[in-house]
Amino acid sequence: MAQPETLYTLITGASSGIGEAIAARLSQERRLILHGRDTGRLQAAQARCAGPERHLLWQYDLRDVAGIAPSLGAFIGERGIGVECVVHSAAVLKILPVRMVDHKALDEVLKVNFISAAEIVSLLVKKRVNQQHLQAVVFISSIASRFGAPGFSMYSASKGALDSFMRTIAVELAPRVRVNSILPGGISTRMTSGLLADPKVAAKFERDYPLGLGNPEDIVNAVEFLTSDRARWITGQELIVDGGRTANISI
Amino acid sequence: MKGDTASPMEMPDRRILVTGAASGIGRSTAVLLSRLGAKVACADIDQAGIDETMGLLQGPGHTPWQFDFKNIHAVGDWLAALAGSFGALHGFVHAAGIPAPVPLKALSIEKWREVFLVNTEAALALAKAFPGRRVYAGESGSIVFISSVMAQVGSPAAIAYSLSKAALDGVMRSLALEFAPRKIRVNCVAPGFVRTPMFQRVERLWTEEQRARVEALHPLGLGQPEDVANAVAFLLADSARWITGSVLVVDGGYTAQ
Repeated sequence: MAQPETLYTLITGASSGIGEAIAARLSQERRLILHGRDTGRLQAAQARCAGPERHLLWQYDLRDVAGIAPSLGAFIGERGIGVECVVHSAAVLKILPVRMVDHKALDEVLKVNFISAAEIVSLLVKKRVNQQHLQAVVFISSIASRFGAPGFSMYSASKGALDSFMRTIAVELAPRVRVNSILPGGISTRMTSGLLADPKVAAKFERDYPLGLGNPEDIVNAVEFLTSDRARWITGQELIVDGGRTANISI
Repeated sequence: MKGDTASPMEMPDRRILVTGAASGIGRSTAVLLSRLGAKVACADIDQAGIDETMGLLQGPGHTPWQFDFKNIHAVGDWLAALAGSFGALHGFVHAAGIPAPVPLKALSIEKWREVFLVNTEAALALAKAFPGRRVYAGESGSIVFISSVMAQVGSPAAIAYSLSKAALDGVMRSLALEFAPRKIRVNCVAPGFVRTPMFQRVERLWTEEQRARVEALHPLGLGQPEDVANAVAFLLADSARWITGSVLVVDGGYTAQ
């Protein structure tokens, strides 16, 4: 009889922004696989977790989609571990007017924001790789998935793909695996710092958001809820966490 | 950073009104809130049901407060009297509701207006009276309406219910905008088919084949009142301090397919 595997929660994009905040919170109760591109930043994120020695680091550039399955498969195979939960928080934000959009620009955004998530989920529902350990998946999407903003076409498309994919796999993988998306509004992180550095943009955000700008902890709370047993009957849903922005037409 | 490990869903000493607390989702919500540290005012038309719910609540400091929400013009004074006795409120959950599972040809104008009155207008009347200084505690304000997936999808013999719940979603969104400057959040939880006394009354009218078909349409099966209560508590507490104007669907995947 084989030893039962130790089960981990994989967080992509764990070395900065929302992903790092998610890691810090979930590290209190779970063993984590922290994913990121940069080893130094990953180690710093690990040090900010509860019980740093309990967690593992998977350094990988998600733009190399062909290598995701071999790399992650080997990572968990070599350690004899299982993955019970995935939070996909890795994302790139590239703002381009549509006249400058082309397949090359789209390539990176789609790969990191969407295709990598599909590769990871597909790998982790293969019995020979992860048995039937996977129980919950959360995609960090965006309100841009549902609403247009100039320059956001590639980002919006990638998040829209993520949410549609989420809905289908929620139906397909039920009842064993619950899958949901969280759609954050504008939050101040490294990814959005360029955008929010413009004082006119920052002022518009404050005006349009009934509850003002959010911070990563607001998304962390929603992730913690959706990955917990309290949300055992929630699947296939987009949870909007945006300070009321998308309910607001009075701007 | 690791100093405070209290869950953001804890609501120590928050005072919350739960309507429809005598049974089903309202009861389950009142019980869960009490376990999270809140003090709960239990309201319903059914006094015996309220008393039973009171016996299930954890800890002291809760209060029964019977009311028939068809008396809509009396809601403001009723709420002020509750707050005067119980203490100023931090929020409320409107879980009171009635169904009318009949096709349109059997649905009278009076009946659909009654459903609308209890399910929708009572929620609005409570919201109108809530921000007053006599009622609202002035901080951590959070309102949750129990809506339904029937606000978003249709079904025969659900017209009155769909009308009332779709209106509730619309009311919630504009309320969220009006109340945001006062930092009072407003959201809906939209349950799918949950095993409650209300649902059982409806289910009894189905054939076994219809019942099996509805269950099969739920990727995660039918739900329990606790599943809805958890979502309500998440939205009421500081765990959702940046969430307003939203509908959280809790339906075992029913509307995802």
